[in-house]
Amino acid sequence: MSYGIAVEVKNLNVSIAGKPILKDVNVKIPESTITAIMGPSGSGKTTLLRVLNRLIDLIEGVEVKGSVKIFGRNILETDPYEVRRMSGMVFQIPNPFPHLSIYDNVALGAKINGIAKSKRELDELVKWALEKAMLWDEVKDRLRDPPWKLSGGQQQRLCLARALALKPRLLLLDEPTANIDPVNTLKIEEALRNLKKEEDMTIILVTHMPHQAIRISDYIIMLYEGVVVEVGPTEEIAINPKHELTSRFLRGEM
Amino acid sequence: MKYGRKSLHDKIVFYSLAIPAIIIALILLLLLLTQTSLSIPIFNVQGVTSTYISTTWRPSYEPPPTGAWYGLLPAIWGTLTSAIIAVLLALPLSLSVVIFVEEILPRRFREYISAIIDLMAGMPTILFGIWGLSFLGPILQAYVMTPLHEYLGFIPVFSCKPLAPATVLTAGVLLSLMIFPFMVVVIQETYRAIPITYKEAGWSLGLTMYEYVKLNMSMISPAIVSAILLGFGRASSETAAVTLVVGNAYNIGFCILSPAYTISSLIANQFTESGDFPYMQNALFAGGLILLIIGLIVNTIGIIILRRLRF
Ligand SMILES: Nc1ncnc2c1ncn2[C@@H]1O[C@H](COP(=O)(O)OP(=O)(O)O)[C@@H](O)[C@H]1O
Ligand SMILES: [Mg+2]
Repeated sequence: MSYGIAVEVKNLNVSIAGKPILKDVNVKIPESTITAIMGPSGSGKTTLLRVLNRLIDLIEGVEVKGSVKIFGRNILETDPYEVRRMSGMVFQIPNPFPHLSIYDNVALGAKINGIAKSKRELDELVKWALEKAMLWDEVKDRLRDPPWKLSGGQQQRLCLARALALKPRLLLLDEPTANIDPVNTLKIEEALRNLKKEEDMTIILVTHMPHQAIRISDYIIMLYEGVVVEVGPTEEIAINPKHELTSRFLRGEM
Repeated sequence: MKYGRKSLHDKIVFYSLAIPAIIIALILLLLLLTQTSLSIPIFNVQGVTSTYISTTWRPSYEPPPTGAWYGLLPAIWGTLTSAIIAVLLALPLSLSVVIFVEEILPRRFREYISAIIDLMAGMPTILFGIWGLSFLGPILQAYVMTPLHEYLGFIPVFSCKPLAPATVLTAGVLLSLMIFPFMVVVIQETYRAIPITYKEAGWSLGLTMYEYVKLNMSMISPAIVSAILLGFGRASSETAAVTLVVGNAYNIGFCILSPAYTISSLIANQFTESGDFPYMQNALFAGGLILLIIGLIVNTIGIIILRRLRF
């Protein structure tokens, strides 16, 4: 285990159709940690996350400047398809592919990226991913069911498993619990904690819930209007926020 | 549905809108009834099955079965083969147009392509017919059908020598150009309706463009099946253009390089004179009946499948 730097963002500037969205962002995220990105809606949290897996490229008129290194590689100069395979992503709304079975949803990325070589390996990988997403026990007898038979919270854990099946070292989550119930929220948080501990995964989580950030994150990045206004260890920021905006946010006033 | 507490005004609106809908349904029923009742005389003298599976077309002033005989199988066969060729060619064409327009072409050009496709869909079919007969047919004969026969003549579908530009293949190719705009529209509308969040999930897995498109297409596979059925329905009922390019010969065989009839071209060609021959008109109605039934089945299934697709 080496605890190096997983993500290093330097002088990142992002604009969409000429409008600046992220301004001079500089952050370093250590390996095997959970980092919470917080900030009011529209502050650029999703944009920052999507730079990290180059999903940002899908937006027309986007311009990205600066340097972003993930595990030492400058991802802005790497083939975007390759960059996307370096990390897994979970979205705000549970979005399992409706036409694929539970099993195939998880297996898809692994199959296409050649992670599992045989049917047995694939079976094992699917099981591993579903276990890590804390969903295995609930679906092991109905892997061939379509995903829409699952509850919203189960679907979101399925999406987590789908991302995990890529065996990524970096996991990106964009408000993954914004649309699901408290019980499922706690399950996902537990899954994330275990992934960090047991799999040494680096996890970056956008959240609008201050309590969630305090419960599970090691570091907090506070964004406001595209600017990082505060960044540091969660204990420090939670007890003694330096910035007025951060304390207001943590008190739930924003 | 309950209309109990509607005002009088609402009732008037409801009935004035419902009546035309009911009339249309009744007209369809009437069409089916007319086709059936006018087919019955030929069924009585030739039998239903033998009318549809016989390959002999023998007009005569003497009534069937001893004098004339009107077997419809060659025309049914021509209809099916030309429509199948049309769908087989139009499917890859429309899939690639949809992929190109939706995923590769810059957004600002999309409207132009859509306009061209709409224009093609709305073109009078007779224009396709004369173009097919005078331009497409000879080119196909010289550069496609003759080489196919020379080099692949051992395959039954290419075994006959293409003696004329108007053949089943020509009809199929022309029909594919006529139905592909409709298939594009059905597939494209559904493709566009795929929620962005699924597309993002696909990209986030590191899929290549090919794998990504494959994933999306499999997501909307019901729409593709539906486009195939609706395209087949259109191709099998097309008349004006096909009558010009299919060759109108009462042939039956697996070879697609020879002229043939389709049900609709048979009706179009023979109906005006059919009054002179006893029972011939009834035979043509029997052809119309089977065409109507094929169309109803194919279109109904196509629409049901499309309706079932929900994201
Ligand atoms: N596709 C887009 N086109 C134009 N502007 C966008 C697009 N996506 C995001 N933005 C703008 O970027 C800013 C930041 O958005 P976002 O990163 O989604 O914020 P957050 O996730 O913090 O709510 C917003 O002002 C938003 O309007
Ligand atoms: Mg967001």
